[in-house]
Amino acid sequence: MIEFALPDVGEGLTEAEILTWHVGAGDTIRVNDILVEIETAKSVVELPSPSGGTVTALHVDEGRTVDVGTVIISIDDGTGASAVPPATPREADVPAESPETAPDEEKPLVLVGKAPTDAAPRRRRLGARSGGAGAVAPATAGAPALPSVVPGQRVRTKPPVRLLAKQLGVDLSTVVPSSGDVISRGDVEAAASGSAAEVAPADGSSVRETRIPIKGVRKVTAAAMTRSAFTAPHVTEWLTIDMTRTMEMVSRLKADKAWQGVRLTPLVFVARAFLLAIRRFPEINARWDEDAQEIVLQHYVNLGIAAATPRGLIVPNVKDSQDLDLTGLAHAIDGLVQTARAGKTSPQEMSHGTITITNIGALGVDAGTPILNPGEAAILAFGAVRDTPWVVDGQIVIRKVTQLAMSFDHRLVDGALGSHVLAEVGRLLSDPGETFLYV
Amino acid sequence: MTTASVIDQQFERDRPDREGRPMFQLIDPDGALTSVGEQVGVSVDLAQELYTDMVMARRLDKEALALQRQGELSLWLMSWGQEAAQVGSIRALRTTDMVFPSYREHAAALCRGISPADLMRQWKGAAHSGWDPAESRFHIYSLVLGTQTLHATGYAAGAAMERTDEVVATYFGDGAASQGDVNEAFNWAAAGSLPVLFFCQNNQWAISTPTATQMRTPLHVRAAGFGLDAYHVDGNDVMAVHAVTAMAAERIRDGGGPALIEAQTYRFGGHSSSDDPKRYRSDDDVASWDLRDPLRRIDLFLRASGVDEDFFETLTAEADAFAVDVREACKSIGGAPLDDLFDRVYVDEHPLLDQERDAFASHVATTGSEN
Amino acid sequence: MATMTLGAAINAGLRKAMEEDDRVLVMGEDVGVLGGVFRVTDGLQKDFAEGRVVDTPLAESGIVGTAIGLALRGYRPVCEIQFDGFVYPAFDQIVSQLAKMRARSGGRLSLPVVIRIPVGGGIGAVEHHSESNEAYFAHTAGLRVVSCSNPDDAFHMIQQAIASDDPVIFYEPKRRYWDKGEVADAPTRGLHDAAVLRAGSDCTLIAHGPTVKTALAAAAAAEEDGFSVGVVDLRSISPLDLPTLQAQAASSGRAVVVHEASTFVSIGSEIAAAVSEACFYELEAPVLRVGAYNMPYPPASVEDDFLPDVDRVLATVDRSLSY
Repeated sequence: MIEFALPDVGEGLTEAEILTWHVGAGDTIRVNDILVEIETAKSVVELPSPSGGTVTALHVDEGRTVDVGTVIISIDDGTGASAVPPATPREADVPAESPETAPDEEKPLVLVGKAPTDAAPRRRRLGARSGGAGAVAPATAGAPALPSVVPGQRVRTKPPVRLLAKQLGVDLSTVVPSSGDVISRGDVEAAASGSAAEVAPADGSSVRETRIPIKGVRKVTAAAMTRSAFTAPHVTEWLTIDMTRTMEMVSRLKADKAWQGVRLTPLVFVARAFLLAIRRFPEINARWDEDAQEIVLQHYVNLGIAAATPRGLIVPNVKDSQDLDLTGLAHAIDGLVQTARAGKTSPQEMSHGTITITNIGALGVDAGTPILNPGEAAILAFGAVRDTPWVVDGQIVIRKVTQLAMSFDHRLVDGALGSHVLAEVGRLLSDPGETFLYV
Repeated sequence: MTTASVIDQQFERDRPDREGRPMFQLIDPDGALTSVGEQVGVSVDLAQELYTDMVMARRLDKEALALQRQGELSLWLMSWGQEAAQVGSIRALRTTDMVFPSYREHAAALCRGISPADLMRQWKGAAHSGWDPAESRFHIYSLVLGTQTLHATGYAAGAAMERTDEVVATYFGDGAASQGDVNEAFNWAAAGSLPVLFFCQNNQWAISTPTATQMRTPLHVRAAGFGLDAYHVDGNDVMAVHAVTAMAAERIRDGGGPALIEAQTYRFGGHSSSDDPKRYRSDDDVASWDLRDPLRRIDLFLRASGVDEDFFETLTAEADAFAVDVREACKSIGGAPLDDLFDRVYVDEHPLLDQERDAFASHVATTGSEN
Repeated sequence: MATMTLGAAINAGLRKAMEEDDRVLVMGEDVGVLGGVFRVTDGLQKDFAEGRVVDTPLAESGIVGTAIGLALRGYRPVCEIQFDGFVYPAFDQIVSQLAKMRARSGGRLSLPVVIRIPVGGGIGAVEHHSESNEAYFAHTAGLRVVSCSNPDDAFHMIQQAIASDDPVIFYEPKRRYWDKGEVADAPTRGLHDAAVLRAGSDCTLIAHGPTVKTALAAAAAAEEDGFSVGVVDLRSISPLDLPTLQAQAASSGRAVVVHEASTFVSIGSEIAAAVSEACFYELEAPVLRVGAYNMPYPPASVEDDFLPDVDRVLATVDRSLSY
C-alpha cells in the first residue's frame, strides 16, 4: 500500500491547494500517471503517481489546502499493508474557499533547494560539563586537546583568580591547587587567610614607625572578631580545677604500648570532656539565627580547635566529633593541628563549626575572656596546667591545677546553662571515672 | 568627402552584425532532407543510433522530473528539448576527448556511459558530483556559470604542449556566454591557438532572460571576433549537429586552433523544477518550437526512410524498461555521512580537520547525528 | 649554505622544483621574457623547455582557471598573481573552484596548484599594490595558506608548496624581496610549522611575512629596556601551528599578534581566540592584536603611520604588561 504524501516540489512549498483530481477511488493507474493538480505560489503543478496499482482512497477534497507531508492518496500497489496509516489531513490556517481574496502572502520562493522546515531542532542538555575548578574543560571543535603545561613552569589559573591573588597579596607560586592542577578562587582565599602580614620595607635608617597593610588573614580575623564581639553579649565564667587524675592517665596511656600510634595530649581529654558535657547539655551547641528569628539546635558537634599558626589564628573544626571515640578524636585533633601548622587548612575545614576550644595554656597563660567564634554559642579556654598547692583530704598537696574559662552568648545561653556545662567539664577532668556515668 | 565619412566607410564592415550566418541544416522540422541534406546525403544507420540515444535521454529526463515531483529528488534541471544538440555533438567526438560540461548535459553524459544513479546523485542532495571524470572523460558538472570554459582551456593548453591531437570540448549556454570567464576563455584559447571546441547550446532562455536581452550580436559572430572559427547549426537537427561537430573537431585536430559552434535549440521545460516558465514566456513561443522538436523530426525521417515499426516498438519498450531502471536507481542513491567528508577536503594531513572529525564523532556519540 | 635575497631564494626554489619534476609549470603575467616585475622568475624561461614558463594574457581569472585545467591534466602549475590587489578577479576561481574541487568530487580530484602572491605594503606604491588579504583565503576551507619571511624559508617553502598535492596560496613579503639571508641546503621544518625565532619570558610576539622583521626589532628594543620578549614566525597561516603558539604563549603568559592586515576579522582575531582558548589558565593578559587601521590602504605618504611599526608593537606589549 502506498500512502503518498504531498511532497515539497522545491518552490518553498509548505502547503498547497488541491485543485483537480485526475483519478478517483477504484481507478487502475500506472506509474507517472498524473494524479492531481496542485496550486503552489500561484502556479499549477501536476503530481505524477509514484507507483502503479489501484487507487484505494483520496484523502483530501478539491479546494482544500493542506500542509506538505499530508498523505493525500492511498494506492494499492499489491505489496501489502503500509506501515504508515494515513494521517488526517491538517487544515492550513489560510481559508481555502477564496484564494483570490486571501492576502498575497510572502511564500518563501526557493529557486534551488528546499524550503526551511519548522521541525524543532533537538538540542543537547546543559550541565554535561565536568565539574571542579581544576578539571580540564572538554575539547570543543577547533580547540586542541593539548596536554597541560609541565608542572613547575607557570602557575595555572583563571584571569579573575590572578586578579584576586594580586589583590589579596597571595603569591600564586606558593599555592597548591586543592583539585587538579588549576588554582581555584577558593585556594587563593584559603592561602590568603593563612598568610602572614607583610612587613613593609623600611625606607630609611632611623625609622620610628613601621606600617603593615591591613589585608589578608589579619583583615578577615579583625572583621570576624568585631562582628562577634558586638553582636553576641559575651559572659565569661571561670573554674579552677585539679586535673591531676587526668594528667596521670595521660602519662599512663602514653607509656602503654596499646596507645602507641595515638597522639594523646591533655587537650584531647579536655575536648572529650567538653563533648560529654555537650551531650548532657545539648542546648549549648546551638546558634542564633537572626534572620529567621530562630535558635537552631545543632545535632552534630563540629568542634573547633583554635590554632596559632605562622600565618595567624585559624579555627579548623572536627566534623561530627560527637561520633568519634577517643582514638578517632585524638587523630582528628592531631591532624587538624599538623595541617594548620603546615598552612594547608582548607576553607571547608574552617567552616560550619558549632563550638570551640582554645588552648591558651599552650602559650603559658592561665585564663582569659575568649571571643566567640562567630555563629557559635560557647568557647572554652583551656589554660596552662601548673603544679599548684591544693587541698586534698584536709592536707595541702601539690596538684596539677588548671583554669577553664568559658565565654558564652547570653542571648541563647543563660547563666545556669553555662555554669552547668563548665562545671561538668571540670568534674570530668577532675575525676575521669565520672565518665562511667555516660554510657 | 569628410573625414568622418572616410572613417565610416573604412569601418562599415565591422559594424555589429546582428544577423549572423544561416544555420547549417540537413533535416527540416518535418523530417525531410533539406537541399543541402539531399546534396550530401544522410546516413540512416547513424540517424537510428542517434535517435536511440535521444529517446533514452528524453525518457530519463521525464522520469527524473516525475521523481522530483514525487519528492525523490530535491531539484532537477531538464535537458528536455536539447537532446539533439548534445547527442549529435558528443557522438561526433572521440570517446577519449575530454569534455567539460555545465550542468544540463544529461544526454551527453548518458552517451559517455554515466549511469542514471551517478547522474542523479547531486540532485538528490547526496553528493556534489556523481561520477569519476577519469572513467568517462566527462568532467563533473559546474554550477558556477561558464567556469568550465577556462578549465577546458587550461586542459587544452596541456594537450597543446604535448602535441596530441585531442580536442577538448566544453558546453555552455547562451546566458553563460555573458560571463567574464567565458570571454576570457575565448580570448585565451584563440591567443594560444589551443585545441578547444566551445559548444554553445543556445536554448533561447537564461531562466527568464531571452537571448535578445543577453547579447547584441549572435554568439557565432562574437566568436569570430575573438579569433575562433565559428559555426552556426540547427541544434535540433541531430544529423547537422553531428556533421558540424565532426568537421570542426577535425580541423582543430589538424592544428586549426579553437572553434565555437552555436547550436540553436530550445529549453522545453523551465530552468529547473523550481521554475515556472509560464510567468515569462508565451504558449505561442513554446508551440513554435514544439514544431521543431528534435525527436519528432528524426522519427518522421526514419519512417520516411523505410525504417519499420519493429524498430520503434522495440525502442519504446527499451525506453520503458530504462525508465524503471532510472526510478530504482534514484531510490537507491545514498549519501556519505558527514564524518566521511573530513577526509575529502585535503590530500595531505590537516590538524584542524583531524580535531574537528574527532569533535564531531564525540558529539554524535553523546547527542546523535541529524542524519 | 649560501647567502641570497628573498626574491632570489624563491627563484632558486622554483628552478630546483622545475628541474626535479617536469610537470611543474610557471605561469603568469610577464613572468617569462621579463622574468617577473620583481624578477622572481628571472632567467627561468630560457633554461626550460617551451611551455614550462608561460607569459599569459592579462586575465587573473583565466590564469587560475586554466591552471585548474592543467592540474586536472596532471601538471603542477605555479601561478603568479602580479600584485596582491589583483587577485580579486580570480577570487571565484580560487574560492569556488580551486578550494572545493577535491571535496565536491568526493575526494577523486586533486589540484596541486600554487598561487604566488607578492603581499603587503611599505614600498611607497600606488593603490591596490599593498594589500594584505590573507584572511579571505585562510577562511576558505580547502586551501592552504603560507607566508615566508626570510630567504631560507622562501627557498624551502616554495618547493614544499609545489610538492603539496593541495592548492597553496603562497604569500611573499614584497618589501622584503631584497633582504639578504643565509639559505641552508636542507629544510629544517615542514611547510606548516611555525618557527620560534626568539624565546621570551615576558611576552610573545606572533608575526608572519613582512612583520616578522618588525617583531624582531621590537623584541630587541624591549631587551634594552629589560624585558624578555619572544618572537614566533607563523610561516603557515592555514593550518596554524597551534601547539607551538600554545607552548610559547603559555610559557610567557602574554601574546601579541602583529600583522600588516587590518585588525577587524583578521587572522590575528583567529589566533587570539585559539590561543586564549588553549592557554586560558596560563595567560596573564588577553591576546592583543596590532595591525593596520580599518580603512582601505591609504596613500603612500601616510603609510608609515598606517602600518604597525616598532613603536606600535612596543606600545601594545606595554598594554599587555599592564594587565
